[in-house]
Amino acid sequence: MNPEEKIRISFRLNGREVEAHVLPGETALHLLRERLGLRGVKEGCGIGECGACTIVVDKKAVNSCLMLAAQLHGCEVLTVEGLESPVGLHPLQEAFLEHDAIQCGYCTPGMLLSAYALIISRGVPTREEIVRALAGNLCRCTGYHQIVDAVQDAARRMAGKEEGRW
Amino acid sequence: MVRGYSRPRSLDEALEMLARLTPRALPIAGGTDLLVDLREGRLGECHLVDISRLEELKVLEKRSGKIRVGAGLTFSEVERSGLLRECAPVLVKASSQVGSLQIRNVGTIGGNVAHCSPAADTIPALLVHRARVVLRSSNGSREVALEALLGGPYKALLAPGELITEFVLEDASHMWGEFSKIGRRRELAIARLSLAALARKEDGRIGELYLALGAGTPVPRRMESAERALLGKRPQEGDLWEAGWLMAQEMVSVSGPRPSTHYKEKAACGLLVRTLLPLLEDGS
Amino acid sequence: MEWIGRSIPRIGAQTRARGKALFGGDVPLEGPLILKLLRSPRPHARILSINTERAMKNDGVEAIFTAKDIPGRNLIGLITKDQPLLAHDKVRFVGEPVALVAARDEESAIRGVEEVEVVYEDLPAIFTPDEALDPGAVPIHEKGNLLHRRVVVKGDVEDALSRAHLVVERTYSTPFLEHACLEPDAGWGYVDKDGTLVIVASTQNPHYDQREVAELLGVEKERVRVIQAATGGGFGSKLDLTVQGFIGLALYHLRRPVKLTLSREEVFLATPKRHAMKIWMRTAARRDGRLLALEAKIICDTGAYSSYGVAVATRAAVHATGPYEIENVRVESLAVYTNNPIAGAMRGFGVPQVAFAHESQMDILAESLGIDPLEIRRINAMRPESVTATGQVLGESVGLLEALDAVEPHYREAMEEWKKGPRRPYTARGVGLGAMWYGIGNTGVRNPSTVKVQLDERGRVVLYIGAADMGQGSTTVLVQMASETLGISPEEMEVVIADTGLTPDAGASSASRQTYISGNALVRACRKLSETLLEEASRLMGLPRGELVLRGGNVVSKEKPERRVSLAELAALAKERGVSLEFEGHFDPETTPLDPSTGQGIPYATYSFACQMAQVEVDLLTGQVEVRRIVAAHDVGKAINPKGVVGQIRGGVAMGVGFALMEEFLPGSTRSFKDYHIPTAADMPEVIPIIVESSEPTGPFGAKGVGEPALIPTAPAILNAIADALGERIYALPATLERVCEASIRAGWPKMGKGGGPR
Repeated sequence: MNPEEKIRISFRLNGREVEAHVLPGETALHLLRERLGLRGVKEGCGIGECGACTIVVDKKAVNSCLMLAAQLHGCEVLTVEGLESPVGLHPLQEAFLEHDAIQCGYCTPGMLLSAYALIISRGVPTREEIVRALAGNLCRCTGYHQIVDAVQDAARRMAGKEEGRW
Repeated sequence: MVRGYSRPRSLDEALEMLARLTPRALPIAGGTDLLVDLREGRLGECHLVDISRLEELKVLEKRSGKIRVGAGLTFSEVERSGLLRECAPVLVKASSQVGSLQIRNVGTIGGNVAHCSPAADTIPALLVHRARVVLRSSNGSREVALEALLGGPYKALLAPGELITEFVLEDASHMWGEFSKIGRRRELAIARLSLAALARKEDGRIGELYLALGAGTPVPRRMESAERALLGKRPQEGDLWEAGWLMAQEMVSVSGPRPSTHYKEKAACGLLVRTLLPLLEDGS
Repeated sequence: MEWIGRSIPRIGAQTRARGKALFGGDVPLEGPLILKLLRSPRPHARILSINTERAMKNDGVEAIFTAKDIPGRNLIGLITKDQPLLAHDKVRFVGEPVALVAARDEESAIRGVEEVEVVYEDLPAIFTPDEALDPGAVPIHEKGNLLHRRVVVKGDVEDALSRAHLVVERTYSTPFLEHACLEPDAGWGYVDKDGTLVIVASTQNPHYDQREVAELLGVEKERVRVIQAATGGGFGSKLDLTVQGFIGLALYHLRRPVKLTLSREEVFLATPKRHAMKIWMRTAARRDGRLLALEAKIICDTGAYSSYGVAVATRAAVHATGPYEIENVRVESLAVYTNNPIAGAMRGFGVPQVAFAHESQMDILAESLGIDPLEIRRINAMRPESVTATGQVLGESVGLLEALDAVEPHYREAMEEWKKGPRRPYTARGVGLGAMWYGIGNTGVRNPSTVKVQLDERGRVVLYIGAADMGQGSTTVLVQMASETLGISPEEMEVVIADTGLTPDAGASSASRQTYISGNALVRACRKLSETLLEEASRLMGLPRGELVLRGGNVVSKEKPERRVSLAELAALAKERGVSLEFEGHFDPETTPLDPSTGQGIPYATYSFACQMAQVEVDLLTGQVEVRRIVAAHDVGKAINPKGVVGQIRGGVAMGVGFALMEEFLPGSTRSFKDYHIPTAADMPEVIPIIVESSEPTGPFGAKGVGEPALIPTAPAILNAIADALGERIYALPATLERVCEASIRAGWPKMGKGGGPR
């Protein structure tokens, strides 16, 4: 039914190799969320203005709504589903809970991933760096303060331990 | 409707593809503008040629007094580059103010120029760095001044099958530079007005000055009336106001009167004063 | 108290942190049909014909529904039923649903929508209330263009005006606003084994949804079950039916799983907005600052359909005095239909708009009278036993003076030190106050909630709470209240939330009412359970009832703590004896309806109060405003969960910053987050939340509410601070670059442009 060609891609998703056949105009958001079932990847606006669909690609935060699925080929991709480990929640997730940084929770996965990418590149960031790194993730509920606190706290905890997990 | 997608392994292959698939071929780098156009139904039938990973577009070097900046560098890469921090400070500052970090991580300066929005942040910066643009197609290459490429709002004058491969900037080491932007919020904002400024002071006088305004005219442009007004001066505050007013008038004469003029005329003047205050004699 | 006043972790946060919560769009069904809406491109037009033939020829299209396919009453509305689910004779706004397409895949659904042919005949469209009220205006609805007129009158305004030392008269305007929940409206549905139509949706109002869908379909209420999905913010926008009616209609006809997710663009185009308002106010005062009279005329643009328009116009009128005692009042508030998008409920129901007006008036009066802005508020502040504009005598929980006291040290420091501190050239600093009051619950109408509690056979306490939690945290505070009443920790309880199949009707999560109203209902239910358990235990243990307490999941003797019986034992015993351990608690606040001609009555059982202070720095060259600090003191009665209260305050302040400086929905041109800006993390000032607890005797553990109050004072405080900085006032929200620049020029700040410079 679709005259477009399909493109075969493979990439690492949350630590596992995956293969997929994608349409040329398909977004990474669509692939991850609708076809690979990663419901933690949220669509908020579809035009890169809210950050709800943020994922980490090759250690950088990106809007998955503004990236082609085909562009994931060969990349290392992290979604919120890959943040926790069998032993428990990621320090960022724990800090979000402790600081009451979650209200409705819709922006949370994107926030966590923006924060994750920041911490693995900057170690323990300053408050200002956190604010700048999270400015692409809108939240309508919390007023942001608790989120910034949580990120700072998690960064300190992570600095003591391993450098981000991949 | 996107009908196809290819990821060429080299620039030559990309150019060959673009030539072969013209007029349907559309290069995609960061995709941060293109995917919005796609969602909003502004793209016709097209075949995407993915140039985001071409190493040839990521050149970054200083050679014979010129700075060569690959068009495929992302805003984040520009922001982090030690070379550019030293030699192209305005471009670095402008890049750091584009959209959000997520956008800066994939969006490229070549894409910013090719999209040619009146409010594009890096265009005024590239203008004050007197950027020349290297363009390549399967037929060969050419180099033009950036101004010559800016055809109008969202109209870069690229020939079919042509790609921007790099920008060639004048070395701005030891110069003072600033990029200021007025937006409706502090981050993730589209410029309501932006001003790029690059200057060198010699014995207290302004020896060199380059100013470019964004979002005030159909395409960003150098503001030579204001530059001339300040060149050679030991500027006092009144001189900045004078220059600001000249710039505002130049903006209005280029754009013609618009509903936004009422504000922008004053704000452009104010933005110049705000931005150039550090150049004052007493530094106040 | 063990559980009240403690910041226990928010219930449901962990699944959200893991990305596992199922929001309205996270359909856990195999291959649901995709629903999409055809929406009107015309603001006002007669529908001459709808032809679905061509669209139906698409392979993937399963069905297309129009108004004629609605088996029941094609009329919806929270208060006034005036809106068809699918337009039948005419359309009244751009974006109004006209046809519903069900298809096997997204592409077919889109093609189906594109190929439905509708023939319209345009009617004159009206975009302002002024035009709509013109006697010659085309009626948008049969009954005309005036939806509602609310009057509140008290005392003798003419006399007071004649006695006044100062009368201030101004007109204010506020724009339409978008709620901008991060989650676009979405839901899914399926038919249960027993034939029940099950709708799972992002909603604030499941029991209303159920009734409305049943009426649409002409079926018994019990045939429809609405379950709240994890809901990504509401702020009032998810009180109306958004996707539920369409899902119900498709289920009714197709009896197959379906899903409907609105795109962000559709949410902007077609879901309800905050009412745009024009507010004229005349305030009279004595020389000493005492307010003598308030006159106001409030015009609310309610858009194409009523939604909560009546409630918004009414609440705006009732709250128009602000939290001040004024003896003579004459307020008229109109809700007027236009062909703009529907305006409905948004955090504060009209009070944020009038607060901008009355708080501006207060500062103008203060300045003219040479009285400190904080003092003039103190002089007029409502206190216990104050009489409101509707003639209600307030009870003892009136914490406004305490809130003013709490803000005062910050205010003095800001005025005397910060404002005079070093700053960048061509900037000005200002400090402003905003105060508010807010009636908890619906206005002068029945407003009940029922909560059920059960001790099941295993001895486990199960709470059945109908109140939707959209992130504001109602579940958490209600569970804390149950813990306190039953002596059981939150982890030991099970909670069933917002499911019409299981939970009783708690009413809407709106009007900041769930803590107070459902809290009371829940406490009553839990007390009934605890009474019965103590009685049963007393019988079993042979100890007097008064000697026993519920503690740690046991009934324990106060005297001899080693004597105890577990809830499991009591549950088993009760079963044996045929004693029911399931109880309902009910609460409906004591209010009286407002008199239609005078607006006198008792609209709310209790009110929350607050005062916020804003410190702003204005760039005089560009019109940019930076909010540096907000101090927010809120009388919440009792903070059941202090972290939760602080979360509401911080979130409310963020929304208030947006309302003050950047948010404006322009019908016809605002389409997405690209042209509708809400504050980012970088736009947030330092916020100092202060919790004031003036205990409410009728509240559960003294609690009132904070959800909406958190937002209300922020924009007034910021606008007053801008006026303080510039010496010139802005009367229209938002304070955009352009308006600030204008005001700055009017005030004679550096003449921008030619010959400008320091003054």
